[in-house]
Amino acid sequence: MARFTIRRLIELVLVFFGVTFAIYAAVFALPGDPISSLGGDQPLSPAVVERIRNLYHLNDPLWSQYLRYLGHLLTGDLGVDFRGRSVAERLASRWPVTIQLALTAWVIQVVIGVGLGLIAGLRKNTWIDRGVLILTILIASVPIFVMAVTAQLVFGVKLSLLPIAGVTDGWPTSYLLPATVLAIYGLAAVARLTRGSVVDTMSSDFVRALWAKGLSRRRVIGVHVLRNSAIPVLTYLAIDLGALLGGAVVTEGIFNLPGVGQLLFESIRVHEGPTVVGIATALILIFLLTSLVVDLLNSLLDPRIRHD
Amino acid sequence: MKRAAAVLLTATVALGGCSGGGGSGSAEGATKSVSFAVSDPVTLNPGRQTIAFSQVKELFSSLTFVKSDGSLTYLNAESVKSSDAVHWTVKLRPGWTFHNGEKVTAESYVKAWNTVAYGPNAWENSGQLVNIAGYDALNPAKGKSTTTQLSGLKVVDDLTFTVTLKSPDGQFPVQLSQAQSGFFPLPEAAYKDFDAFGKQPIGNGPFQMVGSYAENEPMTVKRYDAYQGPKPTVDEIVFKPYTDMTTAYTDVQAGNTDILFVPAARMAQVKKDFGDRAYVFQGLGMNYLGLPLWDKRYQDVRVRQAISMAIDRQAVSNVIYGGIWEPATALTPPGEPGTPKDLCGELCTFNPTKAKQLLAEAGGFSGKMEIRYPGGSGLDDLYNAYANQLRQNLGIKDVTATPTTDFPEFQKLRNDKKLSGPYFSRWGALYASQQNTLRSFYTKAGGCVNCIPYYTPQVEQLLAKADAQVDPQKAIEGYVDVQKAILKDFPAPPMFFEKYTYATSDRIAKLAEGAGSLELENTTLVDN
Repeated sequence: MARFTIRRLIELVLVFFGVTFAIYAAVFALPGDPISSLGGDQPLSPAVVERIRNLYHLNDPLWSQYLRYLGHLLTGDLGVDFRGRSVAERLASRWPVTIQLALTAWVIQVVIGVGLGLIAGLRKNTWIDRGVLILTILIASVPIFVMAVTAQLVFGVKLSLLPIAGVTDGWPTSYLLPATVLAIYGLAAVARLTRGSVVDTMSSDFVRALWAKGLSRRRVIGVHVLRNSAIPVLTYLAIDLGALLGGAVVTEGIFNLPGVGQLLFESIRVHEGPTVVGIATALILIFLLTSLVVDLLNSLLDPRIRHD
Repeated sequence: MKRAAAVLLTATVALGGCSGGGGSGSAEGATKSVSFAVSDPVTLNPGRQTIAFSQVKELFSSLTFVKSDGSLTYLNAESVKSSDAVHWTVKLRPGWTFHNGEKVTAESYVKAWNTVAYGPNAWENSGQLVNIAGYDALNPAKGKSTTTQLSGLKVVDDLTFTVTLKSPDGQFPVQLSQAQSGFFPLPEAAYKDFDAFGKQPIGNGPFQMVGSYAENEPMTVKRYDAYQGPKPTVDEIVFKPYTDMTTAYTDVQAGNTDILFVPAARMAQVKKDFGDRAYVFQGLGMNYLGLPLWDKRYQDVRVRQAISMAIDRQAVSNVIYGGIWEPATALTPPGEPGTPKDLCGELCTFNPTKAKQLLAEAGGFSGKMEIRYPGGSGLDDLYNAYANQLRQNLGIKDVTATPTTDFPEFQKLRNDKKLSGPYFSRWGALYASQQNTLRSFYTKAGGCVNCIPYYTPQVEQLLAKADAQVDPQKAIEGYVDVQKAILKDFPAPPMFFEKYTYATSDRIAKLAEGAGSLELENTTLVDN
């Protein structure tokens, strides 16, 4: 177990350097000058532009900029953006929003997705099974943008039930609509995956043996089938949580949630290199850590994995 | 959206006699509060803000003030006078105070302007002060500046200071109006910590901060009781930040926010959605179709004229902007005093037959016409419409409209002259004078943010001549001469006078129009 964990941690470090450099280089290569657009519609005087460029070492070559950035990063300093605001502080103010949104969406996916999958899997080839299949495919095929705007119009404008923008009403009110919209897209996958896994397990030899032994339905399904079907679903759900934490750009944008996804989008738009790399680094860490946790969990659920 | 916000000129206007009439008291109970959708302001320091116009307008008062009819009045200043357009004397109104009780004096202005102009500070609005004598010494091209004071500023007494300009400029008083926040005064308290001041500014305006500004959180300002200017009709304004203004639009529909500047993407439907709660105000935005004057195919003036006459501006406006944008008939918007009506004449009038004929006379057009515009800014429909019009009405087979990834890339391509076809060009003036629009498009000093660019010595000379006039009427004649000279060359077709559209929730009875903007503080609520 220890060796396994250490091996994963070393991989993590390598991926970390590779990806931060790739992203730094990508932002560096974007055409146009981020400083000249700082003034919005007004022209900045060339002297001001030059001073800001020097302040941020923007005239240095890529490798020198990256090494400087890395140096600061290793001491835990994410630097400041082109307007002089601390990147770490901006990120810190946005994580709570993204985490609340992601967790709410994730819980909805787990409860409804796994629930639907279980029902469908246990009632294989009935009309319920087919109904779940059609329903999940139908809603997942509506573009997220359309779904979000429709939800806003129905629940916000017509029914006046829920707020449609911002987080001023706090959790859960402000997060219900965006989290539901966000959850719908992982829902189909979770449901299908759970169903498939349950169907597989139900038809495996050991379950047949359990039936033959005369165990109760509740015990066979509740303990043995569920636990053995859980591995692929759990892997998917953990990766999905990582994706939710970093990928809700569209949802955060449409619902005006000041989260990390929105910050990332805005920062790319204005070529805010330091912020983009800072967010990307955080997201990579989350992704690597969640997949590490998944592997460890899986090895707990299925002893065969850890005795490889 | 950011661009739109950048040209907002919300303002305090002289209510004059109205404030005496019964409706102005708010003592009868409920606070009259309105909320306004904005993009995140980043900073509220008037010397640095570039997208917080509507906020700093309420927190600070400018020396002069342009009303919605374009006329210039005084606000914090009692007078701004000069006989030669170079030496100006500014007299302040007595009794004005900052929100912390500090007196607004000549020193409050002079020290603030020195700080804004001082090169090493690198403040974004520094460029507004470029014509004050001594600016170059504070911003040397190389090395460090040896002084921290503008040589052109002198405090005479508590309420008087003089300004010496580098070159004569009769429009100086207009430049001191409500959207040029680089000219706002700063209190002593500001100099202790500018970061803190940017979050919780202490101004001389009709409203003061309640708490401090935090990124992406609603921000509230309340009426400042000791304010010496015209009394606003509302007691409180809440600025609600949105990253996507189409979301704000839906939120106003749902009644969660009161007022919004309608984004281009919603203009076609705003009258249907909001009925008489949609307002169309005169803007100071001028929209051109830039042409690549460095490309051989566009060097014959007849080609440029043909392109202008081949586009049915009204039809484009009807389809994309619900008919709200007005086809341009001059080189400056009508909100700028003295802009002549129909100066462009038949060159700006849709006439496909004449257009084809002109193009044929010029030898036709070879190859592909590639229209470029900045992507991600909701401009796609407009430029696709131009492409369709040019394809159909000029008979050029291959016309495309392609977005760049974003604004910085677009600006780089244009500045490097790498565009080979018509392109995006617009400017929202910061003060209501033809000077502002003409300088931005037609002088190098304008900085070419979204310019054409077309620079000639003749235009520079004519502009300088008009600038030198102290008499507003003579200045206007001068600027019209500039326009006439440019139209002879016809470097780029003027396309639209932009209108600024607002929509409100049903809590609002009436919006007050400002100069190219909205007077947020004079909003009338329904329950009044």
